[in-house]
Amino acid sequence: MFRYILQRGALALAVAFTVSLATFFLLNVATDPAYAIAGEDATPEMLAQIRETHGLDRPLASRYFDWLGGVLTGDFGESYYWNKPVAELVASRAPTTIALALSALSVTILISIPLGALAALKPNSWADRFALGVAVSAQAVPNFWLGLIMIILFAVTVPIFPVSGDDTWLHFVLPAFVLGASSVPAVMRLTRTGLIEVMDSDYIRTARSKGFRGMPLLTRHAMRNAILPVVSVLAVQLGQKFGGSVITESIFAINGLGRLALESILGSDIPTVQMLIFVFALVFVAMNLLADIMNAALDPRIRIG
Amino acid sequence: MLRTTVALTALCTALSGALPDAAEAGRQDDTLRVALAEEILNLDYNYTTKREYIIMAELTDATLFELDPETQEFGAAVATDWNWVDDTTLDVTLREGVTFHDGSELTAADVAYTYNWIVSEESEAQAKGTIERWLDNVEVTGDLSLRFHLKSVYPLVLRDMAQRVKLRPEGAYEADDGSIDESAMASDLIGAGPYKVVAFEPGQEVVLERFEDYWGERPAIENVVVRNLPDIGTQQAELMSGGVDWMFKVPLDVAESLGNTPQATHLSGPDLRVGFLVLDAAGYTDEEGPLTNVKVRQAVNHALNREEMSKFLIGGSSEPIHTPCHPAQFGCTEDIPAYPYDPEKARALLDEAGYGDGFRMDLWAYRDKPAAEAIAADLEAVGIDVNLRYVKLASLNQARAQQEIPAYFGTWGSGGTADTAAIARVHFSSESDRNLSGDGELTETVLAAEKTADPEERKRLYEEALTTIAEQAYWAPLFSYSQNYLVNPELDFPLSPDGLPRLDESSWK
Amino acid sequence: MTMTDADPAQTDPTQPHAARSAVAATDDRREALPPTPRRLALTRAYGHGGLLIGSTIILLLILTAIFAPLLAPHDPFAQSLSARMLPPVWSEGGNAEYLLGTDQNGRDYLSRLIYGARISLMIGLGAASIGMLIGVTLGVTAGYFGGWIDHAVSFLLTAQLALPGLLLAMALVFIIGPSVWVVICIVGVLHWTYYLVVTRAATQRIRSLDFVAAAQAAGSTPGQVIRHEILPNLVSSIIVIFTFELGIAILAESSLSFLGVGIQPPMPSWGLMIAEGKQSMFYRPWLVVLPGLCLFALVIGANLLGDGLRDVTSPDGRN
Repeated sequence: MFRYILQRGALALAVAFTVSLATFFLLNVATDPAYAIAGEDATPEMLAQIRETHGLDRPLASRYFDWLGGVLTGDFGESYYWNKPVAELVASRAPTTIALALSALSVTILISIPLGALAALKPNSWADRFALGVAVSAQAVPNFWLGLIMIILFAVTVPIFPVSGDDTWLHFVLPAFVLGASSVPAVMRLTRTGLIEVMDSDYIRTARSKGFRGMPLLTRHAMRNAILPVVSVLAVQLGQKFGGSVITESIFAINGLGRLALESILGSDIPTVQMLIFVFALVFVAMNLLADIMNAALDPRIRIG
Repeated sequence: MLRTTVALTALCTALSGALPDAAEAGRQDDTLRVALAEEILNLDYNYTTKREYIIMAELTDATLFELDPETQEFGAAVATDWNWVDDTTLDVTLREGVTFHDGSELTAADVAYTYNWIVSEESEAQAKGTIERWLDNVEVTGDLSLRFHLKSVYPLVLRDMAQRVKLRPEGAYEADDGSIDESAMASDLIGAGPYKVVAFEPGQEVVLERFEDYWGERPAIENVVVRNLPDIGTQQAELMSGGVDWMFKVPLDVAESLGNTPQATHLSGPDLRVGFLVLDAAGYTDEEGPLTNVKVRQAVNHALNREEMSKFLIGGSSEPIHTPCHPAQFGCTEDIPAYPYDPEKARALLDEAGYGDGFRMDLWAYRDKPAAEAIAADLEAVGIDVNLRYVKLASLNQARAQQEIPAYFGTWGSGGTADTAAIARVHFSSESDRNLSGDGELTETVLAAEKTADPEERKRLYEEALTTIAEQAYWAPLFSYSQNYLVNPELDFPLSPDGLPRLDESSWK
Repeated sequence: MTMTDADPAQTDPTQPHAARSAVAATDDRREALPPTPRRLALTRAYGHGGLLIGSTIILLLILTAIFAPLLAPHDPFAQSLSARMLPPVWSEGGNAEYLLGTDQNGRDYLSRLIYGARISLMIGLGAASIGMLIGVTLGVTAGYFGGWIDHAVSFLLTAQLALPGLLLAMALVFIIGPSVWVVICIVGVLHWTYYLVVTRAATQRIRSLDFVAAAQAAGSTPGQVIRHEILPNLVSSIIVIFTFELGIAILAESSLSFLGVGIQPPMPSWGLMIAEGKQSMFYRPWLVVLPGLCLFALVIGANLLGDGLRDVTSPDGRN
């Protein structure tokens, strides 16, 4: 088990570095940060000054190795745009995104697990169809559009929540819903499948023979077994929430990592983009690793592979 | 319209519900709350460039000279008197009783230190490039008198002193141990302007308080809070709930819609920014390309309906232009050839040039998408197959630096300088990648206008240059911009003719 | 209309979400061997509500796209700056000439929505095909040969999943220059993992079956085995994935265009139209609502079709 985790961890790091290398070269080929720093009315003198200040006049490869060397000693460099250490910047924005990701995951759980259970209770019933309808719709709705519609409906037409920002918990309700909704189909379907499968098993038949029926049977006996794979999928979904935060945070003007990522990409703030992509990639693989471990713990056969 | 009103009413109730006496908030605590989309990360304008920073520096900093927006002349500020000893030597006398925010008296030593620091090897200041072009060094000749030694004749010395160099106390860029610290003023600013900094949270908020020992006319409003709100939607919501009293760079449609409500007043002020198409006459992208033919470039000029774009897409005080500069700028004569909107003539010219069946052209743009699309549609209408590439500014700039752009929709604000030099040099000097004309003679004329201090000679040179640009149709000038503001109806915000917001001149009605 | 997801493979959380339900689909396919009579499948299809709704929506939108020039009341590119931002006909100030009003350049909104179907479908179909080409090639190769090839493909898969697509798209659009074809390629290149996961698993399974061993023993080259024995058995699951990927690719294009790095103006892409309307959505919500509804309809159509096809191609689909 320990060796398995080590192997997967090494793979995770290798992936993160590959991704960082790819992004570094893509970004540098695609844009010249000096222009983004200098702004609209940049004169050649300003550009030369900026290039010198940030060392942009040096060859690409040597800049990448400088960056890599820095990362290995825990130094992610300084943001071109914010003029402060990227690590500090990321650390100051991270809590907001973690809060958003966790509340989004709560929304997913609150919607999809009851819905999945309802559907599993009587397959093919109207409730099952309704749950399926919700899943199919959630899968088909463009995330950014859902955000805008939520703003029009619940911040403007029926003003319950603020339009945008991240000052109070009220600001997080709509974004968490929008970000959470995208995971509903996967988790709902998995819950439903898992429950239907468990309900067919011997020990549920035993419980049934003891007089348990309907919801109590489902929640007390079946759910406990069906929930484990769901939990490991939730870990993967949590990892995806970080990537998903890019659009959601931008629409709701939330000062988290996702918005920082988009702005840094658009503003060619390469050191910031580099660290964010590194962090996103690490979170993604870490969450997958966590899911793998949970799975391995559940199913001993996987350990061999 | 009914739906709009309903939605708006809902918006208003929503927002006013949060803060009951919304519109009154700013006036009550005598605090002007300003929304800026661009994050303020550094308070030292000697080290920054963007317009938002100029607005900030107007509040916090003092300069040797100042622009009188009415006359467009540079006149006394911290300097009271100045005298050209010869073409490259300038004597300056300073005002008595000017104090910095830290309470220290401003002397000639401080001014000399500021200028000499900026042009020094280690300063890395943003202001350096502009100043080192002409300044050799500054010499202290008395407690309140200085002598500037120039490298060469340069007509815009006062402009650069007024707009680019903010005065700092001697030793401002040195740490306590005497080592150099070029970011020393970035967050702990010591200026000599009408407001001093009380608190600064980079990227979030700057809190300013009226500086009671200010040497000039003291502002009417006691406190200014600058809030960074990158999202225009958030800015609107905050304006209506009283969290913000002033926002700028408002898109026309938003400004008009919100300006119709009692929560906000829409102000439209002039702006020195102009929009134009730059055409690859030199053939950098294609030596034999259609744009190397003057008839094709003239056809492009005739094809554009500038009047409609200016009226419907930019609005406010925007005007169509046929000059490659803002008519309000010194030297920008309108007495040059013009190409009125005439699609028939455009088609005929294309035909004459041998492009009767049209041709394919990449058109790059980075802002005002509706205008970019309108330009593309007008060109399509005369048979040019336009491939619009609407990209981020940095991408456009980079592609242009690599000479991959045959035509782009550019804009230029001239840094608020009402002089043709501020737009001509950067677009027509030979080292600028914005110069797609490939016309060496033109470059010489443009640069010559910066090497003489004689206004009549400068006017003559610019007229010559502008006439060449128009005859050769190197550009297709489009329109001047207007600046849209949304403000608290209680706020009296005077608009400056040069388009630079001077918030220290605001007051409550 | 029920789901066919009673399959243990689907609970494997190591696979990305999208891939999981497809694993289920292939495993259903395993039960589908030997193939059921076509008549049976057709009977199931007629009784499948989701399939009917989905195929109707897709068919209607395909017809709209094909006959756009006949259906659109105006030229979607013809601007009229003096008639910009008109509201829809049912609002005050609306005009029967422009049923759904006009956009910021005074272009007919209805005509732009109709032409938008062309862009979405073109990109959806193109990108799903490119993704299929990449994913199936890698999946079958990795599944058939195993070993270090399989490890390399796995690594590629994880790296692809961890790489933010937006960044890749921005860089590529800049380097190559934007056009509908570039966007198709980029979205396609970003969406092959689903095919890969499914075809790899299926190939591994089929490879161990007797008839493959027999073919190998008879001297068939790997290419022949893959072409004649493996690919034919993957067709129906690939079609199902293709339908799902169609919806995913359409959403991806709309997100890219919304962020300004996808389809270029003045092309009428629904995602781009939403971005253009966003600025004044408090005052003119229809500019955002209408293109979003079109996107929603198209993607839900594709997903229902995918769900339906999966159910119909598998005899256990309706348990």
